[in-house]
Amino acid sequence: MVSARKGGNPAQDEPFLVERARQGDRDAFGTLVDRYSDQAFAVAYGFLQHVEDAEDLVQDAFIRALERIDSLGRGSAFGPWFYRLLVNAALNRRKYLARRQMQDVPAAVAGRESPVVDSERAELRRHLSGALRSLASDSETVVILHDLEGFKHPEIAKILGIPEGTCRSHLSKARRQLRDRLGEYRQPD
Amino acid sequence: MAEPHDDRPIAEIEALRAPPRTETARRQARERILAAAEPLLALRQRPLSSWDVLAAWARPGLIAASVALAVAAGALLSGRVGQQTVEPVALGEVLAFSEGGEIPALLVAINEPDAEAVAAAALMAGGGNNGSLQENANNGEGQ
Repeated sequence: MVSARKGGNPAQDEPFLVERARQGDRDAFGTLVDRYSDQAFAVAYGFLQHVEDAEDLVQDAFIRALERIDSLGRGSAFGPWFYRLLVNAALNRRKYLARRQMQDVPAAVAGRESPVVDSERAELRRHLSGALRSLASDSETVVILHDLEGFKHPEIAKILGIPEGTCRSHLSKARRQLRDRLGEYRQPD
Repeated sequence: MAEPHDDRPIAEIEALRAPPRTETARRQARERILAAAEPLLALRQRPLSSWDVLAAWARPGLIAASVALAVAAGALLSGRVGQQTVEPVALGEVLAFSEGGEIPALLVAINEPDAEAVAAAALMAGGGNNGSLQENANNGEGQ
């Protein structure tokens, strides 16, 4: 059932759940929330590096999905469509946060989430996060989904609406760029 | 030549992984999402009432009624215009006689002259009997 949670092959009952949610069935919508919210939270956190922001984003993404559920074709998989909404919302949210001068999120997270966090680790996180943000948004998304959350290329390709080959080359290029930008913070290969 | 694919994941990226969600956090998040979704779900549940059907038809109905009213009013007005007729005028009213009573003249010309009046005037101009015409005119007035 892992693939159903990651937006690959949906569970067999998923079109039925989507149809019932379309008709306002609370239980069906609740089941979709149960099925996707953990993975959605992990992806949202990958982008925002902040627990509360990530939880808010997941909630917004589910509400947006319910608002637009009529645009999801009958029988289409919910997962890739939902993750696309989530990723777009995450990128927009981060732009909004950046405009509000809150770019230094990882440091704040380190302070708020684990008071005894190792300072070197916090520094690494800050640099990693900064390096990720410096990538093109599609490349960053591929790194977060693939390297951080374990999505497969066909799944990511569906989510981003790009060919699998493009997805692979985004990842390869992004890794090279990240290695360059992390420099001293990286352990030798 | 294209660069070979970089297949080595960056180990350090693990530092950005989300902390595990506790069961409590998961439950609270679920409740919050469902509470926020409640109004939307309720909107989707609402069965279509007869009022909804009426409301859906209200605008096109009003437009159709307005158009029908305008067409009916137009037809009514154009019918009235078409029905306007020239009232017949008695010959005595349109003929004036000279003191001698010999040459009648057609005075009224607001409307098209009655064919009879024209014919009578023509006859009189041709030397007809003034007295009988005067008589006829008076008879026509009485009718």
